[in-house]
Amino acid sequence: MQAIAVWDPLLLSRLYLTVSMNLKRVNRLLLGLIILVDGYIIMAPLVPAITFWWDGRGGTKQRQLTAAVHRAAAPSSVVAAAPQPNHVIIPSMLLDKPILEGLERDTYKILNQGIWRWPTGSTPDKGSNTVLIGHRFTYTQPKGVFYYLNKVKMGDEIGVWWSNKLYTYTVSDVREVPPTETSIEDATPDSRLTIFTCTPLWLPKDRLVVTAKLEANP
Amino acid sequence: MNEKTKFWILLAILALSVALLIYLNHGTNQLFL
Repeated sequence: MQAIAVWDPLLLSRLYLTVSMNLKRVNRLLLGLIILVDGYIIMAPLVPAITFWWDGRGGTKQRQLTAAVHRAAAPSSVVAAAPQPNHVIIPSMLLDKPILEGLERDTYKILNQGIWRWPTGSTPDKGSNTVLIGHRFTYTQPKGVFYYLNKVKMGDEIGVWWSNKLYTYTVSDVREVPPTETSIEDATPDSRLTIFTCTPLWLPKDRLVVTAKLEANP
Repeated sequence: MNEKTKFWILLAILALSVALLIYLNHGTNQLFL
């Protein structure tokens, strides 16, 4: 009896109607998902640019950060009154973030948290080459710490608080190099800061490198 | 175009979009890049 009922033409047409109505819903859902995923692919790299414009409007934040770096000019304020975590200030890219320490085996974990000091490189108090690395953009974390590193130009100031002392650097070089050029991480006779991230945004294949020379040593 | 054909086309586009997102995310997440 059941088999006869299934093959009943009326029931079949009803079943077809139900499935096609559901297919319409499913198709609408699929279309929504496509718009969502493709929209994210296109918009995610642009969202941080909008937040940079929003944060930088009026120039207040940049002025505050520049003033924070300029404290090095006044010898009495070079050493922090209160304990300071190790952090880097780059006014031209509105950045004031802590510097994280960690071994190479934790690279991915640390880079997802912020700025990583290359462990085999130097530290500001020891001179030579202090290397800072950070993500520029990832789809899992669109606003990488060095997203705006391309805003940094020659002559810009960079401040690094290290062991409660402020070290001031001036940008002397901005360039792009292939990932194979590891000489940027090498020790140097002069005291310098090397900051690098990936470039270009969507399909990173090179490194964007900013080199800065030490100006004020506390 | 009937709904069934539309379904398969949309499903293929969605699969390609997700694959592209995974590919791009992998590219931007490379070590030291």
